[in-house]
Amino acid sequence: MSGPGTIPLAERRWSLLVTALAFALPVVFVLVPLAIFLGYSFFSVDQGTIVHTLSLGNYFRFFTDPIFLPVFWNTIVLCLSVAAICILLAYPAAYFLTTLKGRWRYALLMLLLVPLLMSYVIKIYAIRSILGLNGFLNKALVGLGILQEPSTLFVFNMNAILLTLTLLLIPFAILPIFLSLERIPQVLLRASDDLGASGLQTFLRITLPLSLPGVASAASFVFVLAIGDFLTPQMVGGISGFTFGRILYSQFGTAYNWPFGAALSVALAVVVIAAILVGERFGRNRGTAI
Amino acid sequence: MTALPRLSTVLLAAITTLVAVLLYSPLAVPIVSSFFTIAHGNVDWSSPTLATYVALAENHDILAALRTTLIVGVCTVVLSVVSGTLLALYYHSRRSGRSLLQFIIFLPFLMPPIISGLALLIFFREIGLERSLLTVVIGHTVFVLAIVYRTVLMRLQSMSRTLVEASYDLGATSWQTFWRIVLPNLSSAMVGGAILAFALSFDETMITILVTGTQSTLPVRLWAMMRLGFSPDINALVALILMFTVLLCVLAARFLIPRQVATERT
Repeated sequence: MSGPGTIPLAERRWSLLVTALAFALPVVFVLVPLAIFLGYSFFSVDQGTIVHTLSLGNYFRFFTDPIFLPVFWNTIVLCLSVAAICILLAYPAAYFLTTLKGRWRYALLMLLLVPLLMSYVIKIYAIRSILGLNGFLNKALVGLGILQEPSTLFVFNMNAILLTLTLLLIPFAILPIFLSLERIPQVLLRASDDLGASGLQTFLRITLPLSLPGVASAASFVFVLAIGDFLTPQMVGGISGFTFGRILYSQFGTAYNWPFGAALSVALAVVVIAAILVGERFGRNRGTAI
Repeated sequence: MTALPRLSTVLLAAITTLVAVLLYSPLAVPIVSSFFTIAHGNVDWSSPTLATYVALAENHDILAALRTTLIVGVCTVVLSVVSGTLLALYYHSRRSGRSLLQFIIFLPFLMPPIISGLALLIFFREIGLERSLLTVVIGHTVFVLAIVYRTVLMRLQSMSRTLVEASYDLGATSWQTFWRIVLPNLSSAMVGGAILAFALSFDETMITILVTGTQSTLPVRLWAMMRLGFSPDINALVALILMFTVLLCVLAARFLIPRQVATERT
């Protein structure tokens, strides 16, 4: 016979076991690798072998070497531009969706989101062929008389990366903006209309401010995805389109300096976390709850 | 948004159309060229052909990569659905440390894939695990886990408590309640999550490139081939994959949009 005190104890043990089991997988395969990775950023490489002594050398090199900081900064500017263009295209589209009724609204939303799930590599390849010197874009521009002859303006350079990333990431901007627009209570818009505001006034003073949280989330999504991408710059960037992701990736390939690559990853992670926090801070919906 | 002036509606519709064209034109290129020959940026519309599809059936290299991708996808789905569901149940049971756990689950999904991939690469090296399909499966599972977890958790949270309470009132044990009430209610969310997980795993490239061994999955194989340019049969494969992906999306939408189940009516 068990005494009255043993049941809670057994239960507590059971509960502890369940907790340990639940944490096991995420901790071993997520937290531990990230911790080891962080640790690596303090190691160094000597003649192809990794030296396990802690030092800040990698970080010192990142801040003092004339190569890395400019590329880092250029990449941030590039990804901010991608986010801005994506939003400029996605906002009107998302707004248009919310003016539609019922079934059409969601069918069209699906249509604009489905390309997300389609082969990333193939899309990069197809966009590269569209942007190329003999590609459809140059053909169209020459055909329309905008250009005299095919231009190399968007072949294997930063512009190519900018355009490709934009095309790939637009759907990530559409969804959050659409959700924040959809959440705006119709009552507010009707009230504004009743009080004699024009359509433009209502948009500028009600709709736009209330949808800004969605814009912030969209910007943060697109920025984070753009800055983490190393495949697109590798494929369409050529020699001049050098981004941070490429440098980082090369540390694990040709350059073979894992510790330095880890330090570069930490720098990347800092920017990404900042972007996520900014998106989170401004992405909250305030004042739409009625 | 009742009385939009005509002009702005037309303008908005035009921009939306432009966005749709921008999104779909990269997909149209391989599909069109799987049926027609393209030379110097011009499509030869006069002679549609299925030759690319025939050639694809002969390309053993690509078919092997496709098989590898399917194997990885199935393993990833099984692992992520089982662990994602268990973790969602843990979170839902309000045990200790649940928000920390949720944060860890979401980390690989929030971090750029290059960071998750490199962290795993170093981890596998430190524990002496050779890069193989196993490491790819682990990488994919860690990546898609957040999606499955979230899908199942949302269904759990929308499930009416009265169902579970009724089951207990009628004398069922907690085990019986789980098998006969909770799990059947979760099944469609689990299937939907599984389809999403499969679709993500099928297309995952960045983590895979970093943690794969000698056997490569389809996206990695395509990535390696891309430097030299594709042979025409790749277009046929792409067209087939796109069709397959659309099918997956439609399926996922079916399972994820809540049906009118008994829980809603109470």
